[in-house]
This record gives sequence, C-alpha cells and structure tokens, in this order.
Amino acid sequence: MDPECARLLPALCAVLADPRQPVADDTCLEKLLDWFKAVTEAGSSLLLLQEHPCLVELLFHALRAQDLSPRTLSFALRLAGVFAAQENCFQHLQQGELLPGLFGEPGPLGAAAWVAPSVRSGWIQGLRSLAQHPSALRFLANSGAVDTIFSLQGDPSLFVASAAGQLLVHILDLAMREPAEGRVCPQAWDWPVCARKIVCHLEDCLRSDAAPRVTQALHVLTTTFGHCHGLWTQGLWVQLSPLVACLLEKDPMPAPHTLVDLLLSVARSSVPSSDPGLWETVAQTLTRLSPTQAGPLAAGILKLQDCPQALRIQAFNVLLQPLACVLEAAAQAPATPGLLEGAAGDPMAVDTLPPSKSACVGLLCSALAHLELLQPLPQRPSPWPQAPLLAATVTILRFCNGSAAPSSEAGGRLCTMLVGCVRVQRAALDFLGVLSQGLGPQELVTQVFAVLLEYLMSPDSSPMVLKKAFQATLRWLLSSAMPPGCCDLEPCAQLVLGELLAMLQKRLCSPCWEVRDSGLEFLTQVTRHWGGQASFRQVLLASELPELTRQLLQDPESYVRASAVAAVGQLSSWGLLAAPSSPEQPAIPQETPLEALLLILTTDSEGFPRRAVMRVFTEWLRDGHAEVAEDPERFVAEVLRAAGKDGDWEVRVQGLELALVFLERLLGPRGSSAVAPPSVTARAMRALCQVQLFEFAFRSLFDCDRPVAQKSCDLLLFLRATATPPGSPQEAGDRPNVASVEAALRRWRAGEQGQPLGELAPEAILAVLRSMDLEALRDTLAKSSDHVERSPQSLLQDMLATVGVLGDNEADCY
Amino acid sequence: MPEIRVTPLGAGQDVGRSCILVSIAGKNVMLDCGMHMGFSDDRRFPDFSYITRSGRLTDFLDCVIISHFHLDHCGALPYFSEMVGYDGPIYMTQPTQAICPILLEDYRKIAVDKKGEANFFTSQMIKDCMKKVVAVHLHQTVQVDDELEIKAYYAGHVLGAAMFQIKVGSESVVYTGDYNMTPDRHLGAAWIDKCRPNLLITESTYATTIRDSKRCRERDFLKKVHETVERGGKVLIPVFALGRAQELCILLETFWERMDLKAPIYFSTGLTEKANHYYKLFIPWTNQKIRKTFVQRNMFEFKHIKAFDRAFADSPGPMVVFATPGMLHAGQSLQIFRKWAGNEKNMVIMPGYCVQGTVGHKILSGQRKLEMEGRQVLEVKMQVEYMSFSAHADAKGIMQLVGQAEPENVLLVHGEAKKMEFLKQKIEQEFRVSCYMPANGETVTLPTSPSIPVGISLGLLKREMAQGLLPDAKKPRLLHGTLIMKDSNFRLVSSEQALKELGLAEHQLRFTCRVHLHDTRKEQEMAMRVYSHLKSVLKDHCVQHLPDGSVTVESILVQAAAHSEDPGTKVLLVSWTYQDEELGSYLTSLLKKGLPQAS
Repeated sequence: MDPECARLLPALCAVLADPRQPVADDTCLEKLLDWFKAVTEAGSSLLLLQEHPCLVELLFHALRAQDLSPRTLSFALRLAGVFAAQENCFQHLQQGELLPGLFGEPGPLGAAAWVAPSVRSGWIQGLRSLAQHPSALRFLANSGAVDTIFSLQGDPSLFVASAAGQLLVHILDLAMREPAEGRVCPQAWDWPVCARKIVCHLEDCLRSDAAPRVTQALHVLTTTFGHCHGLWTQGLWVQLSPLVACLLEKDPMPAPHTLVDLLLSVARSSVPSSDPGLWETVAQTLTRLSPTQAGPLAAGILKLQDCPQALRIQAFNVLLQPLACVLEAAAQAPATPGLLEGAAGDPMAVDTLPPSKSACVGLLCSALAHLELLQPLPQRPSPWPQAPLLAATVTILRFCNGSAAPSSEAGGRLCTMLVGCVRVQRAALDFLGVLSQGLGPQELVTQVFAVLLEYLMSPDSSPMVLKKAFQATLRWLLSSAMPPGCCDLEPCAQLVLGELLAMLQKRLCSPCWEVRDSGLEFLTQVTRHWGGQASFRQVLLASELPELTRQLLQDPESYVRASAVAAVGQLSSWGLLAAPSSPEQPAIPQETPLEALLLILTTDSEGFPRRAVMRVFTEWLRDGHAEVAEDPERFVAEVLRAAGKDGDWEVRVQGLELALVFLERLLGPRGSSAVAPPSVTARAMRALCQVQLFEFAFRSLFDCDRPVAQKSCDLLLFLRATATPPGSPQEAGDRPNVASVEAALRRWRAGEQGQPLGELAPEAILAVLRSMDLEALRDTLAKSSDHVERSPQSLLQDMLATVGVLGDNEADCY
Repeated sequence: MPEIRVTPLGAGQDVGRSCILVSIAGKNVMLDCGMHMGFSDDRRFPDFSYITRSGRLTDFLDCVIISHFHLDHCGALPYFSEMVGYDGPIYMTQPTQAICPILLEDYRKIAVDKKGEANFFTSQMIKDCMKKVVAVHLHQTVQVDDELEIKAYYAGHVLGAAMFQIKVGSESVVYTGDYNMTPDRHLGAAWIDKCRPNLLITESTYATTIRDSKRCRERDFLKKVHETVERGGKVLIPVFALGRAQELCILLETFWERMDLKAPIYFSTGLTEKANHYYKLFIPWTNQKIRKTFVQRNMFEFKHIKAFDRAFADSPGPMVVFATPGMLHAGQSLQIFRKWAGNEKNMVIMPGYCVQGTVGHKILSGQRKLEMEGRQVLEVKMQVEYMSFSAHADAKGIMQLVGQAEPENVLLVHGEAKKMEFLKQKIEQEFRVSCYMPANGETVTLPTSPSIPVGISLGLLKREMAQGLLPDAKKPRLLHGTLIMKDSNFRLVSSEQALKELGLAEHQLRFTCRVHLHDTRKEQEMAMRVYSHLKSVLKDHCVQHLPDGSVTVESILVQAAAHSEDPGTKVLLVSWTYQDEELGSYLTSLLKKGLPQAS
C-alpha cells in the first residue's frame, strides 16, 4: 500500500464507521473493495491488518453498531471475506470472534438490517470470498451458515438467490476437492459433512412438491456439473439421477427449462463416460417435452462433441420438425422433398405446430435460430439436408410475405399466422443467409434469389427486414461467385443483377435513412467483390447508381453520408464513378471523387463522414488509386493539413494512419527490421518534410486525446528505428539547429497551439528524434488518461472530501 | 392466476443504470437499458445474465422501450443489442432516436479516448443498434404484436422524453421514465390521461423534495456568469452535448440580448449546429412559447453563441464556454479547465451530477489541489459553483401524476431507498393504493383480474342492431346471450343457437306473484278493470285482453281469481319471464296499490 493511502486509511475507516456520514456515491465502496482485493492478492492480509488496525476496528464496529447504513454493513461483510480468504488471516479474525459475529447469529443475520437485500448479498459475497481453505469449511459447517444459505436460495432478490446457489456449488466443490483427490469417485457416505449436508438438501428439494425448491436444486446442480470437474461429480450424478428421472416422468414436468439445462450440463461433463444410461434419459426427455421445450435440448445435444448417433438423429429431427411441418403445409404434390423420413405425406405432421399464433411463431423462430447456429459448426449433423432446408426457409418467407398459395387447410392456417410477421421474417432471413455456405440445386437457388428480391422490392418490408434481406442477398451473391480466375459471375447471380441494381436505385431514394444506409453498405460490399467483373461493371455503369451515390454525399443524415463516402471510395477505386459520355451528350465536368471527399473532410459538421473519408483516403493511398497516384505528396500534404485541424480525435488518428502508410511506401513496411539505405532515407525525409508530416506528428504527440498521442508515438518510433538505426553515430560536422523545433515542442507540450514549425531541415528532425525519450512517453501513454483520478489514493481523497459536502448533490442525476 | 411481474435490474432503490423488466400477460418488456457512468468495467451495464439464462434473448423479450436519451437510460443499448445479442425491436420517440446515437457516440469516444476500457461498443455497433429502433409518435398506439401494444405520452425532462403505456388485453402498466411536471425554458410539462393502469412505475429522484422555483436558480446562474464576465473572468460550463445545455444557452442568449453584453459565448464545435438542427426538427416537442414564436424567430438560432475553436482558450479577456464532457473527465472541457483553473477571476459552473473518479467530482467536493499526471499539482483558484438544472418531478409533481393516471398500484424506481419510503407512505395514504419500492433484483408480483376474450355470434349482434342502436364503444350496453365454452374458446350466442348447438330442449322459467285486492265484483269484470287501468298507465306497451279473460303485457300474464275463503277479495295472479323482470316488478307494485275507482 502506498504511504499516502496508508496515511488516509484511518480517517476513511472513521468516516465509514460514522452513520452520520453517509457515503454519497454508491460506486465508491465497490471501488474501495476492488482496491482491497488487489492489495490482498498482492500480499499478506494478516500483515495488512496488523499494520492498519483501523481496518479490524471498522469490522468490529460493523458488528456492534446498530445504526450503520445497509450499504456500509454490506461493505464490511464483503471486506471481512476478502481478508479471511487467506487462512492465517482467517484464523486471526476467528480468534477475535469477529467472523462468527459477522457471519453468525449475533451479527446482521439476526438484526433488522437483514431486511436490506444489499446486506444479505454482502453476507453471501463475504462468505464466498472467505471459503477458500479447510478452516473456512469447518467454520461454515459449524456456524450454521450453510442452513442460512439454503434459505437464501429462495430469497425474494434474484441477485441474492442466485448468489446463494452459486455459493453452495463453491462450498461443495471446496469440500470435495481434497478427499476426492487421487481417488476414483468416492461413495457418498465418505463425503465431508458439509458436502453431505448440501447433497441431502438437494435431494430434499428434488423430492419436494414445491416447484421453486425443485428449480433451486436444479440450478445448483446445473452449475455444479458445469463448473466442477472432479471425479466426485460422477458419484453425485449416480446418487441424484434417480430423483431427476422421477422429475422427468412427472406430468406436467416441473421446471422443464431448468431440467434441460441440467441434462445438457451433465452431458458436457465427465458423467457420460461413466454412465451411458444418461443418453437414454436424454432421449426419453426429448420425446416427453413439447416441441418448444425440446428445441434447446436438441440444439445442445447436437453441439456436443461426442454422443450416440441415434440420439443426434433424434435431436436433429426435433429441430427439423417445425420446418418439415411448413413444407408439408405448403406441399402442392406429394413429391415435395420432405425434411424428415416419413414426414412427407403424413397428415399429422402439420398438427405438431402449436395452434396459437404466438406459440407457433416462437417455435419457428427458435428452430430457425438453432439451425442457424448449428450450420457452421464442424459437428453439425451430416448429411446436412441443405435442399429441404432451403425449400422450407423460402416457403416460410413466402408465407410471411403472402406470396405463397397454400393448397391445404393447414397451409392456409399457417399462412394466416405468418403473414406479415416481422419476427419470423428476420429469423428466416438470417438462416437463409447462413445457408448460402452450402450448395443447393439450381432451381432452389433461383427461388432463393427470387424470394430475396421480393423482400427487397416489397414496400411492406420494414427497415430491419430490409437490412437482413440485403445481408442475406450479399451472402448468396458472394457464395455464388465463380472460382478465382474466372472473370464473370455465376449465371444465377447474373440473372438477378439487373433487377437487383434497379431495386437498389429505388432503395437509395427511400425516405428512411436506415434503408438508404443499408443499401449503400450493400453496394459497397458488392462493388468490393465484383468491381472487376465485366458483367457487373456493365450493369452498374448503365444504371444511375454511381450518380445517386454521389448525391448521397449530401444526405441530411450523417450515417448515410458516411456510408456514401465508403461507397464512392469503392466505386472510384474500380473506376466506376466516371460520368459516362456519349457523342450526343458530352460528360459535364464534375468535381472529382477526391475533391468531393476532401470537401467533406474539411466542411462536414459530423465526425462519421469525416472518419469515413479518412478511411477511404488511407485505402486509396495503400492501393495506389489513380487520382492519388498522380501526385501522392500533394495528396498527403492536403489530407494531413485537414486532419490536423479536425476536432474529432478519431479523424486525427486516421490521419496518423494515413501518414504511416505514406511512410511505409517510402521506407518499407513496418515489422521488417531492415534499416533503409541512407539514400532512401534522405529522399524519404525530404518528402516527409515537404508534406509537413513532422509538424502533424509532433503536434499529435502532445494531443490532449491520448490515442492520437499514442499513434503518433508509434509512428515516430518506427521512423526513428528505420531512419536512424540504434548505435549510428550522429554525423560529424555541424550540429543541426534544433532550437526552434525544441521550442515548439515545449509549447505544444504545455498545451499551447503556437505557431507552425515552418520549413524544417531533415537533419534537425532526425536529431530531435534521437534526443527524444519516445519509449518513456509510450509507457506513459499506455496508461489510462484518467489513471490519476481513478487511483486508490484519489478514491480515498474523494471519499474523505465528500464528507458533509455533497448534501444537495447526492440525489442528483442527469 | 394472471399477474404482472416487475424486476428492476437497475434503478431499484438507486439512481443510474435504469433497466426494468416487466412481465405482463405473458409478454416480457425491458424498460430502459441504461449505463452507470461511475464504473469503467462491466459493472457499468445492468447484469443481463439473469435474462440470458432464460434462453435466447430475442425469444424471451418481446421488446425494449427507451424513455429518453440520457445515458443512464439508454447507454447500455448497443452493448445489449450488438454484444449480448438482442435482435428484437427497440421502441423510442423520434427525437430520442435522433439524439441517442450522438450521446452514445460521445460517450464511446470518451471511453476509448481514456483507454483501459475494454468490452466497449464501436461506432458501427451504435449504428446497427439504431437501425433496430422503431420510432413512436406521441399518443400513437403501436402494435408490437397481435396482443402487445404501447403508447407514448409527453414527459418533459429532455427533448423527446416520453412515458410509455404498455398494454396487453385489459392489463396495462405505465412507465414514466424521467419526467418533469413543470414547464421550463424549452420544454413543456409531462401529461398523461386518466388511463387507470394496473401499475404505474414512476421515477422518484426528488421523492422528498419540493423544489424551489426554477426562476431563482436561473437568476442565480445569470448573476454569477455576469459578475465573472464583468470582472474580466472566463466562465466554463461543462455540459453533455444535448439537453440541459440548450436550456442554458437560451437563458444566456436572452440575457446577453437584454443586457447588451459583448463578451463572447462559445459552444463546442459542431454542437450548436447539431443541437439547432434537432430542436428545429422536433419543434413540436418543445414548449408552447417556443412553438408559438418559432415562425418569427427560432429560439435555437443563437446570435451570441459561436462555435468554439481550441485556440480561443488562450485568448485574453472574458468569455463563456460550453464544453463537453459534462463531468470534466476528458476532452475539451478538461483541457480548458486546466488552462483556466489557476486564475481566481475565472469560474466553472457544474450544471449537473458528477460521478467519483472525475475532476468534476473532485472540485465539487471542495478539493482545490488536484494531482495531475506526472506528479504535477494543479491548484484550483477559479470559483467552483454547482447548480443543478436537472428536470425531475418533485414530490408534489409525482403525486400530481399519480392523481392524473389513477393507477391501481404504484411502483417507485430511480431514487434513494430512504426517500422512497417516505413517498411510498404518502402515496398509500393519499390514494389508498399499494405502493412498492423493490431493490435491484427483487421481483414485485401483482395479481390481476383475468381477461378472457369472448367471441360474439353474428346472429346475436344483428339482432341487437335490428333494435336500431349501433354499437358505440363509449356507451356500453347490456346484451343478453348464452356463453358457450367449447374448444378452449368462449362464445356469446343467442339462447336459441345455444340450445341448438348443445342439443338441449328449452324450458321456460316464470316468476309468479299473487296480489290480493278487496273487490266484490266478478272475476271477468275485475280483469276488465285491470286491463283498462294498465292500458291507461302503460301507454308504450302492448296491453291485451285475451278471450279467456286474462290480461297480457309483453310476457306478463295477469289472471283474476276468486279468493277461496273470502268472497269479498279477489286474487290477481301475475307471472312473467326473467326477460321482463323489471316490468313484472313494476306491474306488481302498481297492482298492489289497487285499482282506480270506476267513474
């Protein structure tokens, strides 16, 4: 502990013990506790208490005082737990009868303060901290604390109840850790008293008719099998599985969600290796649960690395069932590919969808979401029924937009339930996007594009649905691209391209900024991938999209302007922005994309578009954009001048990124330890001086926004390492005049704006660079800019300073 | 048993990080998704693990509603939607949707700028999150799905702040967010109709306070600024980008105009334009005065307030600068503060709350020697003033709102436990309703009356219509029918149809009553007299004298008979069906009074 904190500590303890001095900011005690945790993790708690007796006094005071505020009492309980986590300190506190007092009957447990949830929470957290060693375990067993924890499992506060359950798991694990070591699955009667007590309690709960008690026990067991990995967990399952099996057989099944969680937690543990009967239980549960309840269990089973194939098939069928019902409902003829064996043509299949709309929508959404998560996993079921899944998803989307014509009564019912349902549309579009990772028959892919186009063109699609439709379309377009080397698009994509771009044109004129923005994002992505493909270029250039995109640079919404900047950047990179000219209609001279973006950089009042411009410029410089390549130095100089004046620090950081790219072009890439030859360095330095990169970098080094200073420091370190290798003696002869540079640096460091540096000699720059302790600066900048205000010392000062001052401010807020 | 459950994950007996889960008729709604600015780790966000435990978030939650753009109400939204994985709809008013990303972006920049803040959302995430937002107009009923609907009411507090009514069937909850019951310089007062919700969830920041007049605070503010400028000093006002800043700008602008002051007033670059743009765009959300004068002069087009350039801080002479952020914890406001702190002629006015760990908090607690980086000490000689301009309803205002909405229950959030306790008692005494104040993580469960939808048969409706009266939602009418429960559905049909559907035969139930009258005349004559009497009294009814001597009025049958024991007494047997219960009773009491003497 630093001396200043040690000096302030007694006064702070006195304030905390004084009920007339409430702590104003509720975060202070949390932060104080964080600090004590850090201090005790770094050293001896016992020593800390001996050196600072005020701490023990505070704890004693918490024990005796009747009028302490709940939050201070809660703090004291948690603090005592932090100290007692070390066994010798625990014993020290135990000798003073402090722990039984705080955590036993004489303490808050029996006092009025117990009514406050924060006190009960503090009591649990205190115990959670101290339960780290055998002495603590004995204390817990003998003090009756475990019984209190049992009762707190049913606490009205969700936070307290959940913490109580977790504490039980922790105690059980602690108790079992030692005896179980090196022994295989000890029998229950061998278990320590504390563990036996907890297990007995869990058994009682599982046998109980009260649903909350059953749920509490299931939560504890789920956490146990999820977090404890000792062999004893196998013994625990052997003992408790008959009770769990009884629950599974009850009608109605109590707490089905929690039971599913437990079964999955057990299935992921080491239990299956010793109890193959578990799979039988899981399989039976799958059949007994309703389709909605069975979904998470099925998805969990399919994510397991190792489980019987028959169970996997059963689980997969559970997830496929709702989609099979959809296919069945839409079937025009019995030949429609079914998802489940025997499902096609089975008149009962559709009836497995819940009759109420909300339940049906819920079931479909969760099935789609589970399948979406499953698709990219290596352990996903194989063979993966790509074609029927595609057909089912397309059908769902058609039911939702009303374009499907169901032939059966069941289909009609389903159609009524799904039409216009945004929730299902969103889930189905997400899943459809993921399905693009697999192949599909040409006919189905055509249907996919058709339905996506329907959504993209429909005036009824909400902005969120449109965004998802754009994303799914993009994924399908990119997945259908021809192999590398082939210079054109896949026929199916080519077919829709015209319609797609025509639709995009309309969407870019939407009154909703969300739609215009999603459209621009889509255009940017498509162009990025297809900008070089002849057929795409042809269709795009024939459309009004380039002109529209250009116009959107003036959109009233800054998000849209930023996306338009990115799109213009991409179009321009591929040479797709030039106005087409014809003999009858010569191209009207327009400002170039570079000029247009520079104007945004210097005049736009919002940060997003300016930042987007900087990203585009950096990319252009890196990729050698034609307009930039004409005169890169002029380009860099102009951009740095604008970025240097920008009020948004992220633009300034981007400016430094651009400067780094420029530097790499001159001196070679970063990371390669090669030192540039002197002739290259000299040429580079001249160029850097010419574009006034140093003025920008040095000013940035003392920027009040730390990331700017950090980036600049990195840039200058790179430059110094490349241009002035370590150990290279300064050239003999005249020492360059660095006085003016150093004077400017001093002014900037002091926060003054000052005059520009003016003309600089490369030698002077190198000399200044050599003389600067950039490494030390980098270390300082690596700290948070408010590390002083957030230091423990500052915290203690603040807490002491607020005593009696903040009367009026305490209840205030924004 | 149907019930409404409410669990605050934040704002339960505290201020900051508002996030309240409401479960109503099987629908789950999250009210606000705020962050706590006092923490710089995961604790700044509500602990969402309690909902992610219930399976996929998007399946569990039906929607998220954001009451206004303050970060303690919306700051965790991009984290929740883009990092925790909520993909469902988010509802807020249009101004909130427009301003929210600006504040989130501002905060993100500061958090990243300061560094050491991992697990934070990006600019792209803020945008993607805002694309999930569905904008809501005031008083417009928005159908979230077939059953769940929401409606926004004006809340004052800041531009675009709204109270929300959440309704499923006949059950409803109103969440106030933060609100202000008195108009201020640029906003009106909160208002809600007498919607009689099952539960009103109200903020209670000033649960025990009756706030002094805002005019006094404004005068005080202007006086301090004026005095400082007059003696050649500089005034720094750290603010958040949008909100109170605009109110203070209007205040200074008017004062400068009136007093013809020349000292420059600056506002962080870009912010004036931005603020101006949004206030112009959402002029209907401002107060009456601004709306009325808007055509002649837009209050937000400031003549005296100019954009600030970093170099201006070094300029000599007096000036007033509004700079962000509001807690002096980074960026421009902190930079200016460092420059000006050493001069006792200068002044810093903190118009809002500052969390621990910021320079703002330090100076407000009276610290005057601040340790800076590199062991340097900054001596604060400038004057430090705190003036709260936060716009919350005080105790009187909260009571007024409860009176307006007439809820069945009240639940207090966004306040301190002790103060809530006082207000709770007051509400319970005055309004005779139950009042709750759960801590974070505690669930309040309220039983509600079940609402069962009943379908009505077309035949029955047509029959009612045939009576000439069209259905009117405002004038409920009594309708007789038979309730049939079949296939988990309830239907109201005519009794004939019910009998047919259920295959039952009709039985008729008649009420009978005997009326003894002293009269020596014969039964037929007696019946004739009854007929004449009823005919003269019941002019609107069809009174008939049947050939068998009995008299009928609608379904009511009156027969005269001789008394078995007393020949001087006649017995009138009156019988009627339950449909004519009212008329039957009336007629009986009429006959009991006797018949008029024959003329």
